[in-house]
Amino acid sequence: METLYKELKQYFDVDEFSVQKASLAFLRVPKSQLVSLLTHMKDIRGYTHLVMVTCVDYLEQDSFLLTYLLHNYSTHCDLGIQVSISRQNPVMDGIHHLWEQGRVYQRELFEMFGIDFPGSPDVHEPMILEGWQGPPPMRRDFDTKAYSEATYSHRPRDHKEPEEYMKQQLYPED
Amino acid sequence: MNLKDILSPLYVWKRAFEKPYSINTLSKERPGAARYRGFHKNDLDKCIGCGTCAEICQNQSIEMVPVHSAKDGDSGLRPKIDYGRCCWCALCVDICPSGSLTMSNSYIWVEEGLDRDVQETYCYIPGADQKPWDSEELGYHRPEGYELLRLERVPMPHLPAEERLESFVEMVKGYSRELAIKEADRCIQCGICTATCPAHMNIPAYIKAIREDRIAEGLKILYETNPFPGVCGRVCTRRCEDVCALSHRGEAISIRWLKRYLTDCIESKDYQGILNSEVVPNGKNIAIIGSGPGGLSAAYYLAKLGYRVEIFEKNSAAGGMLRYGIPEYRLPYASLDKDIDYILSLGVQIHYNTAVGKQVRFDDIYARFDAVFISTGLFEPFIIGIKGEDTPGVISGLKLLDDVTNGREVRLGKHVIVVGGGNVAMDAARTAKRLGSEVTVLYRRRLEDMPADREEIEEAQEEKVVFCCQAIPLEIESTSDGRLAMIWGKAEMKIVEGAKRPSPVLIEGSSERLVADTIIAAIGQGMNFSWMDGEAFARIKFGKWNIEADRWGRSSDQKVFIGGDMFNRTADAISAIADGHRSARAIDKLFNPSNE
Repeated sequence: METLYKELKQYFDVDEFSVQKASLAFLRVPKSQLVSLLTHMKDIRGYTHLVMVTCVDYLEQDSFLLTYLLHNYSTHCDLGIQVSISRQNPVMDGIHHLWEQGRVYQRELFEMFGIDFPGSPDVHEPMILEGWQGPPPMRRDFDTKAYSEATYSHRPRDHKEPEEYMKQQLYPED
Repeated sequence: MNLKDILSPLYVWKRAFEKPYSINTLSKERPGAARYRGFHKNDLDKCIGCGTCAEICQNQSIEMVPVHSAKDGDSGLRPKIDYGRCCWCALCVDICPSGSLTMSNSYIWVEEGLDRDVQETYCYIPGADQKPWDSEELGYHRPEGYELLRLERVPMPHLPAEERLESFVEMVKGYSRELAIKEADRCIQCGICTATCPAHMNIPAYIKAIREDRIAEGLKILYETNPFPGVCGRVCTRRCEDVCALSHRGEAISIRWLKRYLTDCIESKDYQGILNSEVVPNGKNIAIIGSGPGGLSAAYYLAKLGYRVEIFEKNSAAGGMLRYGIPEYRLPYASLDKDIDYILSLGVQIHYNTAVGKQVRFDDIYARFDAVFISTGLFEPFIIGIKGEDTPGVISGLKLLDDVTNGREVRLGKHVIVVGGGNVAMDAARTAKRLGSEVTVLYRRRLEDMPADREEIEEAQEEKVVFCCQAIPLEIESTSDGRLAMIWGKAEMKIVEGAKRPSPVLIEGSSERLVADTIIAAIGQGMNFSWMDGEAFARIKFGKWNIEADRWGRSSDQKVFIGGDMFNRTADAISAIADGHRSARAIDKLFNPSNE
């Protein structure tokens, strides 16, 4: 993996390389170079399988971190390619022309995090959140409780606090 | 169309005889794994309704609903779970202080007739509503060794036993800020204790104040229900700790020591600034007979309401049994005076050395004041009722404690026998030990039957007091060399029908002899009626043992109220304090019927 990184470094602005184990490593690439790096990995380096695309919301740093995990069937190595994009303008280039299933991940990322992939087929169609009105629910500033209180009707709660209830029962006059 | 097209639908039939790849899941029952987190079970007898499950639930899926009536240590509420909200995280099971809440491994529940009230769909009270999985053994239980609660007490620093015996210095050192916050942090704030405290002190609130280091706020909370927090922080019978939710699987919160910590943190000169007791006089005069915890508590709350209070006290100092009955090593006089001085600072006046019936007549008091609160306490020691009890050298426990408090010279001699098993007996035995005597305690029942505080018994044992249980005193003789011989017999415990606990019965012919220099009888004390005469008392209705009164201490004469040991059955400081507070409110109601 070290050698691979050194070779990639000659063509791309990759950094933050970290090796998790002999067959798994991660590296970081600028947003503008992501698609060309993925193309390079798929066509030249044998990383032909897209395992998954996932996202972490770094609210404090005002960014989303996307991870594209690739697998090489001949070496059985996994490489995670990470790209940080601004939370203010969450738009990313699609990869569905490289891997057909990429459009499913992109559709999901739009639904859960609000990251747009212009040109990706059906990217704005709901996947599981049919009729969703609120902000994307996987964003960390999504207030689950406030949303559910505003959106759904609730069973009336008849909760009694033990201390108060015991007072009513045992010493109401005191 | 060729032959292949015609035959191909038939090829699939060759698979009909092979073992299928799919598994048949629908027709067979598939139980959850042994530790599956399925529907809840609750052992209703073990559950105390503390509501900690409802508190920790992240989805508000638990509400506490009444299942039976509340009693000491049990709110009577039980958790009801809404499975539309539950996410089966099992935090409720993990935190459950009593260990009553568990989960079965059942995960299938078909609700019939969804046309009925949808509010109740997929909700039930585990244990109370019958479910098929109630007797299921498998399922999630809190794993051994995994504990969200802190079950062990922060230990209180004590003087070692040897050092204690050298003086009357207070043996409990008190918590530091760090230890107090650590101990307060164990509290789960359920409030089960509040109902059991006779004064219904707001325990969760002041423990929270300690945890958040809001000391002044904590002191204010204490004074809302108890003007003797420094005293109770040391010697309270702390029934609150008996019902503490944490005591079911671990050690109760040290509620008493935390209260003491609050009062120790604040100097008496700062009390006025914090408690800010601005008193607006209302022109009414109240007399109080006896300056024990009951009388002074009533005085405090009456004074705060603007009443002018005068207390008549037969001794030369205030405090009653707190001063004359509790030894200094448990309750230093400085701590007692700190509480009393603050009460007196509100303008309460005490007539010392003034016994009603001797120095002043009750009829005069009755005529001069708008209301009278009587809390003289129990100060007549019971006698054992055996031959030779009037021999010189036989004294009462109260006499010893009183003499020590007053600084009178006490000569007990080398060997002392204490008869009795209550707190006065322990105090007398441990006081005698500190005065240099060897002490043997004779008690009729077993050690575990002793009414004295467990801690006092253990501490007496540490101090090498000898306990001789199931021993019935028979006779006291004088020996030829001027000492005393206690003749006693061994007893066996027999269960008598209708009795709550086994009774000691003398073993026929058993006779033991124990020689001592002093014999101290400490088997309880009763009321003294001798001072209660005159016209006013002639009009007050007496019951079998006492002046008749309701729970507010109101006697048949609307001007006369009673409280303290002579009124309640528990005869401890905190009950007397509660009585005083209650009667103060009842007295106020007399003059301001509209006030609540």
